[in-house]
Parts: sequence; C-alpha cells; structure tokens
Amino acid sequence: MFKLFKEIGKTGDATIGYPFQPLEMPDGFRGKPEHNEKLCIACAACAIACPANAITMELDAEQNYLTWDISYGRCIFCGRCQEVCPLFAITLTKDFELAVLNKDDLRESCSYEVAHCARCGKPYAVAKEVDYARRVLSKAGGPAAADIDKIDLCLDCRRFDDAEAFQKQARTRGEA
Amino acid sequence: MLEHDFPPQLQWQPDPIVLDAKVAEAKKKLLESIKRSVYVYRVDCGGCNGCEIEIFATITAVFDAERFGIKVVPSPRHADMLIYTGAMTRSMREPAIRAYHAAPDPRIVMSYGACGCTGGIFHDNYCVWGGTDPILPVDVYVPGCPPSPAATIYGFATALGILDQKLHASHHVAPANEQAFIAFPSIPYKVRTAFEREARRMSGYYYGKQIVDEFMLAISKDKSDVFGAVDALIANESDTRKKAVFMDLKSLLMSKVVDE
Repeated sequence: MFKLFKEIGKTGDATIGYPFQPLEMPDGFRGKPEHNEKLCIACAACAIACPANAITMELDAEQNYLTWDISYGRCIFCGRCQEVCPLFAITLTKDFELAVLNKDDLRESCSYEVAHCARCGKPYAVAKEVDYARRVLSKAGGPAAADIDKIDLCLDCRRFDDAEAFQKQARTRGEA
Repeated sequence: MLEHDFPPQLQWQPDPIVLDAKVAEAKKKLLESIKRSVYVYRVDCGGCNGCEIEIFATITAVFDAERFGIKVVPSPRHADMLIYTGAMTRSMREPAIRAYHAAPDPRIVMSYGACGCTGGIFHDNYCVWGGTDPILPVDVYVPGCPPSPAATIYGFATALGILDQKLHASHHVAPANEQAFIAFPSIPYKVRTAFEREARRMSGYYYGKQIVDEFMLAISKDKSDVFGAVDALIANESDTRKKAVFMDLKSLLMSKVVDE
C-alpha cells in the first residue's frame, strides 16, 4: 500500500491546470491568424490562397474602399496566408481561445483606400499597394522599371496602350 | 458562389428553429447560476471525425474535462449540452433536429469546429446547409480545425459563463497615405525570389518560408560580412535538416555573387 502511494507521488499529476493556469502552446502551433494592418498592402494574396475562403476582399458600393475581411469561424488554420504574404502582415499566433457567444464576433476587417485609374477613373488597386509597387520597381531598376510611369493606369488602359503600341510597331514593319 | 448569383426566392432555405421566449429565459437563468455537472451529447452532422477525436482527447487524463463535471453521454435524453460537429449536410439535417428535440429544455447548443461554425471549407458545397446556425439556435461557437482540447475546455467555460470571450468584432479603416515598408530592402528583389523558391522546393510551404526568412534576416543584418553571417547561421543550427537547407541556400547565394 505504501509502495503504491510512493509510486503515485513519483508519477505526479498528468492533468494540465489549463483553465486555472495559462497554457503555453508548443512552437509551431497554428492558432489565430493575426493581421497587422500597418504592414498590410491589401494585395489580396492571402484571399486568393485561403482554401476555405475565410479571408475575403470586397470593394464597397461607392468604390472608395477595399475591405479585407477574415472570419475566424471559417478559418482552418492552415497557414497559407502567412506563407504567401510578402510583408509579414499576417502571422499565425499561439492564441487558441477563440470561442464566442455571438457569431459576429468571429469577424475582423480592415478597409483600405482604393486608387483610381488616372485615365478612365476605374478603381484598380489599393493606393498603398500602388505606392509599394512603385517603390519596389524603382529600386529594382532595369527592364522591370521601364514602364513605371504607367503604374497609375488600370489593367484595361495598359492593355489598350500595349495594343496601340503593337499596332504602330506592326505598321512600321509592314511599310519597311 | 452560386447562392449569391441565384435569386433567393428560387432557393429553398431551411427554416431555423426559433427559441421560445420562456425557454430562453430559463436558459439564461441556468447559465447565470449553474452549479451542477453538464452532460454533453455529440452530434456529428457530416464532419471528418477530427473534431470527435479532439472531444475525446478533452476527456482523457491530460485535459480531463470530467473534473469540471463535463461528461460525454450516449443519448441526447441525458444531455444538457449538444455539440454539433461538422458541416450541416442535407441528409443529417433531420437527425440533427431530432437530437435537438430529444434533449430536455433548457439545452445549450455548441457549434464545434470550423465546419460547425460556418460550414468551414465545405461552406459552398452542394449538399451542405452551412454551419449549425441555419438550422438550430446556437449558443456558443468554438472555431478551430479541429479545436485543440484546450480550446474545447475554453469553449465549455465560455458556454457556461465561467470565462469571458476574448474575440470581438472589429472594423478598422487604414489611414490614408500610409507607407508600407519593404521587406529585406538590402537584398535585390530577384535574388530574394530565387531564395524563396529554393527554400520552398527544399522544405515545402510554411516551413520553407520560415527557414528562408531566417536566412535572409541573417544576411541583411550583417552587411559587411555576409558569408561569415551565413556560416555562423549554419554552424549554430542543431537541426540537420534545416542545416541542409541553409547550406543549399548558401550555394545559391555563392552563384549569385558577381566578381567586380
């Protein structure tokens, strides 16, 4: 009998004291994705990568703001958003205490101002992202930065420009 | 998604069970001063069984939910709390409602896991109604895929009003003319891309990114002696697999060096 108690004392307590004591999760634990809106350029890489569509990007009705939105209720904590983010704006933390009583509390969102095309006025990207792209391209230099002045145009306008240039080029070739 | 493109009057929508005012009051009273054990019945509405495994991990000796009187019972007639796991599939809707009506009032309903909360990764599947809430009045949502046993215990505590919830809905508007910083400005963009591709080729997504970030941080920190910094990084690494990736990245770095 005494031996049994000694054995029990030696083994100790296997149960964790979680709700009464804080629980430290191990390294590599994939918990709540934390969005840093200051680092984020709203490039929507995470929204495209998210397999469960927990992260979505939506343009508002007035076309002035693009809203980044995450639903923790839909998130499957795969970490693909962290993987594709070029600027460390989203990282998975060790926070696991996500239970809520109201479903709306599972959503988090952040709006970013949209840049409008200099020619046609259509919204085409977030202003912060355009600014970021301009700085990266000017730093990279070379052929990548060749049409840096066209960064204020939307994709359609740039395609139109490209087509026009190609047509002009084709005509000169034909004449020669 | 098809649901958004299709006119809603042409789609049959399940009518959710609305909580009776009297029952809601009784439930509120119960949650305010609960002084007894809570028996739990688990309804799998079409999940992958990951959530079930975590629920059973919660009642093992390590997490031991039974020390709080939380016990998993085999019949909804014994249950105070119903846990709905998995996305609500069309064929499991009827059994889910039957289990709900079989439990005595006031019953607590918990949506468990990403699929239970919103439908999760199956939210736009043809045979899925979404989470539990289009069908039943839900009291607590426990997200996670699956929720870890500790998160489950936290969910129970939130449901019973012992712990307060930490998440709250938030909406921010980013200030105008804010400048984003450029990650690793000292490394040329194309070289950075080459590093990232190589690291992902070597050790896959998620870990590849972590390893390449560590590598590039070491390079950009010590601008005077880049190879010295890389060698120190390799020498200090105890994990041989990670070391191999670092050495591979080093040889890539060597190939990028141009003699002047």
